[in-house]
Formats: sequence, C-alpha cells, structure tokens
Amino acid sequence: MFVEFFYLLRQKGIPVSPTSFLRLQRALCTGIIRSVDDFYTAARAILVKSERYFDTYDQVFAYTFKGVALTEPNDLELTEIARALLDEWLKNPADIARALGLDEEDLQKFTPEELLKYFMDRLKEQTGEHHGGHKWIGTGGTSPVGHSGFHPGGMRIGGVSRNKSAIKVAMERRYKDYSQEGPLTEFQMGEALKRLRRMIPSGPKDLVNVDKTIYETMRNAGEIEIVFDHRLTDRLKVILMIDNGGWSMDPYIDVVQTLFNYARSQFKDLKFYFFHNTIYDNVWLDYQRYFKPETIDDIARRDPETRLILVGDASMAPYELMHPSGAIYTDQKQNGASIDRLKFLAKTFRHAVWLNPQLETNWGYTWTIGAIRQVFPMFELTLDGLEKAVQHLVSRH
Amino acid sequence: MSQENKTAKFQGATKYVLDDELAKIINVTMAIEMPLLLKGEPGTGKTMLAHAIAEALKMPLIILNVKSSMKLLDALYQYDTLTRLNDSRFGDSKREVSNIEEYIRMGKIGQAFVSDVRTVLLIDEIDKADTDFQDDMLDVLDQMQFDIMEIDKTVTAKHRPVIVITSNAKKDLSDPFLGRCNFHHIAFPDQDMMRSILDVHFPNLSADLVEACITTFYALRELRGIEKKPATRELINWIRALKADPDFKVKTLRQGSVPYLGILFKKSADLNAACQQASRLRT
Repeated sequence: MFVEFFYLLRQKGIPVSPTSFLRLQRALCTGIIRSVDDFYTAARAILVKSERYFDTYDQVFAYTFKGVALTEPNDLELTEIARALLDEWLKNPADIARALGLDEEDLQKFTPEELLKYFMDRLKEQTGEHHGGHKWIGTGGTSPVGHSGFHPGGMRIGGVSRNKSAIKVAMERRYKDYSQEGPLTEFQMGEALKRLRRMIPSGPKDLVNVDKTIYETMRNAGEIEIVFDHRLTDRLKVILMIDNGGWSMDPYIDVVQTLFNYARSQFKDLKFYFFHNTIYDNVWLDYQRYFKPETIDDIARRDPETRLILVGDASMAPYELMHPSGAIYTDQKQNGASIDRLKFLAKTFRHAVWLNPQLETNWGYTWTIGAIRQVFPMFELTLDGLEKAVQHLVSRH
Repeated sequence: MSQENKTAKFQGATKYVLDDELAKIINVTMAIEMPLLLKGEPGTGKTMLAHAIAEALKMPLIILNVKSSMKLLDALYQYDTLTRLNDSRFGDSKREVSNIEEYIRMGKIGQAFVSDVRTVLLIDEIDKADTDFQDDMLDVLDQMQFDIMEIDKTVTAKHRPVIVITSNAKKDLSDPFLGRCNFHHIAFPDQDMMRSILDVHFPNLSADLVEACITTFYALRELRGIEKKPATRELINWIRALKADPDFKVKTLRQGSVPYLGILFKKSADLNAACQQASRLRT
C-alpha cells in the first residue's frame, strides 16, 4: 500500500528507509489507523525523522492524496506577476490599504509572505480582466493587499486546532520555517567542541580503583586496602588564532565570537591569538594587534600535541600570501612569504585545522582559500564543519 | 509500596494539555512497539509528556537522565564490588557473598526490563551522550535484552516498556538511531493552545490577565537578537510570579512595562536585549 507515496517521498529527498515503510504497514495492520488524518500523523511519525523534512512531507502528502501539484509552474509565474504588481503598489501604500478594503493597521499585521498569499488568492479567484471593482485585483481595484510595514517574522506554526482535514493541514505547510537550518548557538557549538576534550588523570585522588583494591587487599591477607586514583580531567592544550582584522571578517564576527566565548569556558589550557588575513612573523595576544606580539618561532616551541585552530575567511590578495614581503602593514618585518610561515605551523602542529566562516560552496571563488587549503585542512564554521574539524583534531595521524 | 510512591508522584501530569496529533502518534507508537523520539524547543513539554503518558496509562515512570560521561553499562546495571568486598571481609550482612547476583544493581533501563508491570521509560536529553552510547542503547532497546557479564546471565524484558526519548539538539541524531524510532517534533504552541495550557495550570486566572500575559509573552518572543526564547515553562513561572506580587496590576502590562523579565530570559545577554526593547512594547 502507498508504494507510490513512499517513492515520491524518497524522490523529493526525504531519507525514508524501507524498514520504516514496512513498519508503517505494520501499523496499518494493527487497525489503529482509521482515517486519512490518522494516516497523516502516523506516517509522518514513522517515516520522517527530522522536522526539517516536515515541510516536504506536507507537500508530498497533499499532492498524493489530493493531487495538489507540487509547485506547479503556473504558480511560479503567478508569484512573479504578483511580486511585480506588489512592488508597483507598494510605492503607493495609502491607495493599497484603501484598495484592499483593510485598515492600515490590519495590513501591518501581515508578513510579506501572507500579503503575497492573500494577493495570490485574489488573483486566482479572479477570472478575466477586471478594472475598478471591489474585491478583485486589477488596475484601480479595491481589495486588501498592501504595504508590508513592520513584520515580526519568526516561527509561525499553525497550532493544534484540528477541525480541518489532514490534507488541509498538510497544505497549510506549517513546518515551512523548519526546513532551513537554524543559526549556530553557543550551546550547539559546545556540544561539538566537547568531543575535543582529552581526559587525563589529575586532581584529588577520589576514584576507587577496584582492580588495584582487590589486589592490594589480597596482598594484605584479606585486610581491606582501598586504592584511590586521580579523577580524569581534561588537559588538552588548544591554541586558537583568530583573524579579526579588516572588513572582510566583519560579517562573521558574531559567529566567531560565539566560538570564542565557548572555547574560553571549555578548555583549561587555551591561548588566543589574533592576526589579520594571514600570518607573518607575529601573532598578537591583544585584540588591537599592537601591544603584545608573539613570534611564530616562540609558539612553535610549545607542545607539538597542542591543537591549533585557525579561524579566518582566508580571503586576501594573492601577493599577501605568496610574496616574500607581502605584509600590508609596513612595520611588520618578514622572513619569507606568509604561505611558508603557515606551512611551518602546519608542520609543527600535526593537529591543526582552519575554520572558514564562508560556506564551502563559495570557496572556489577565492584563490587564496585554495592555496591555504593545501596547507591546512579547511572546514566550514558550521555545526557540521565543526564536527568534522573536531574529528580531524582528535584522530591520530 | 514503592510502586505506589512512584505513581503518586506524577499527579502533576494532569496539567498536561495533549493535542490530538500527539495523542495519535503515541497510540501508533505503542501499537507497533517503537521508541518515540521527541524533539522541540526547550520548555515545550517533552519531558512532561512522558509523565502524562505514565499517568494516563497508570504505569510507573522510570527516568534515565542522560549525562555526557554516561556509559551504556551505567544505564543497564552495576556490579557493586565494594560492598561485596566489604561483606566478604566483615561478613555481617545478610547477603550471600558467593552469589554475585546479590551485588548486581539494576540501572534505569534494567529496572524497566525487570519490572513486573509495564512501565514508561523516559530517556531524557539523549543528545548529551555521544553517538556510541546512542547506537548501543538502541540495540538493547531493540532486542529488549542485555547480558550481565559477571554472572553470565541474560536479562530479558518481562514487558516491553513504553519508551520516550527526548532531544534538545537542533542537529539530527545518527541515522541508525533515527531508523529505530518514531519521530515527532513538538512545535511551539500557538496562542489558542497556550490559553488552554494556562487554563489548566491556573484555573482561576482572570481572562483579562491571561490575555495581557499572552499578548506580552508572544511579543517578547518576537524580540530581535534573543538566543534562547522564553518557552511555556518560563511563561508559567512568570505568571506565578505576577500572581505572587500584590502590587501587580494588569494595567502595567498594557502600558508596556514588563516586570520580572529575569524569569523569562535566562541569559544575561538576552535579558539586556529584552530590557532595552521591552519598553517599546505597547498593547
């Protein structure tokens, strides 16, 4: 049953496994699913494993069980027309409020999307051209769609009022907002970074070592001798170098800040350094990159097991990276090209990664990103990227 | 006796407003005996749901709070070597030292398996544990049995427990994990739903106050630059605080001053942002 539905779900990119499909069949056999509504909820719970796919599911469901076309081309065209019209009208909001028969206050409650939807509905209801009417859209008409004004945006999920049929609910596409990836938060970053910790015994001896206790007790002729061990705590050394210079990093400061805040509370032995675009002879301990320089050679003398994480967009003029005197600050003395310094760092610290706040799909457009990628393994500064980076940092190689 | 105690504890669960959709999912999940994975914003009642199920079905509830350092074995059973050592040395307990089984203590999953009645097993915040734990645990829940190595005994579930798993993570759990459970995402309740939730929690609240609170609350959720939006739990606590304050008048909310913002916003950065923007709220 519903094999087509199953394949359509797969085709639309929802990872539905055959096992779960069989499970749905089992559920159908129990007789607990008695209506389309039941089927809608049950199938979703069994087949779809992430709220990100709920929206797609809704569309496929509506299509299968009612034949609503999956974004019909016609619809798309309509949207284009509607948008164009809307733009035209927005230049004259007062007219629109009047034209659409709504108060301006009511209009403000509409999000642009709702506004557009309202507008589209009107367009669809309308058959034939129309001029100067009351409800329909046309030149000089009156009917409510209008200036977007302030719109709160945010999550809008239709609630739980269940007097509608499943198909209608599906058509509402309540989960539209979930289909996009959420922003990174400190908490999520923390979860990803947590895996980096390396546990080493230290601190007070307050953990019972059972094996040793038994052994010592036996040696003691049965007189109990309890042996304590150190508790395991994290002793991983981390060096974080952040590109905080210039406008090219500006859009990413928030996300880097998040990482920065978290890292500070997470690791015992953590050093921050700052640089601009790329690294020459010095990196700085202070945010202004002026007062406390530290040479790369000094840093290289640290424990080679230290994890080195560089954060930057790796985007600059090629000569800044490749030329022996490419530094854009004239007061920076320089031994060799920056790329050689990076190679030196990569050789010193075997566990090193470069996190790039730009999306991976854009990396191909910047030449220096490609060059630096050959020196350091580069990962996106997203949850997935971070996880991969952490995996790389903890692996032995 | 202990059974009674356990069930008696969850009377608060009458305060759970269950929507139809969720009820259907739970019924299906129970019918095909799968674990149910619940996701959703913190404070939307994922944990409360397990309490509600336990209460509605009159089953004891066993809660496994997952911690990041947790090993699967901790959740299954524990071999209490120290007590055994102590007993063997002093011999003043009633336990039989040569019988290791007397020193095996069941963990939360183990308890659910050996229980004489069907139980609700809540595995809270699974995302805290690492993926190995998650996958291994599902193996155990799939087969409904595990081995106790020390005594070479297999524990098989007498009754398949109703398993509810919650996760706060926005990130998806591993594929094998997801493959073995049913899934539901609890959306943030809309205003009507919120009204009925409040109604259950505060039956005597004046309609005036409810309206004012809800309007303010949803407006606050829309503020910009907030990392952790206030959820149902925060709203309930906030109203509790408002009720406890003898000087509070509904009028003040309408005028746009919001007292006790600290109850709604838990992060200092959020609280600052909210304080700055709250004064602009007028209803």
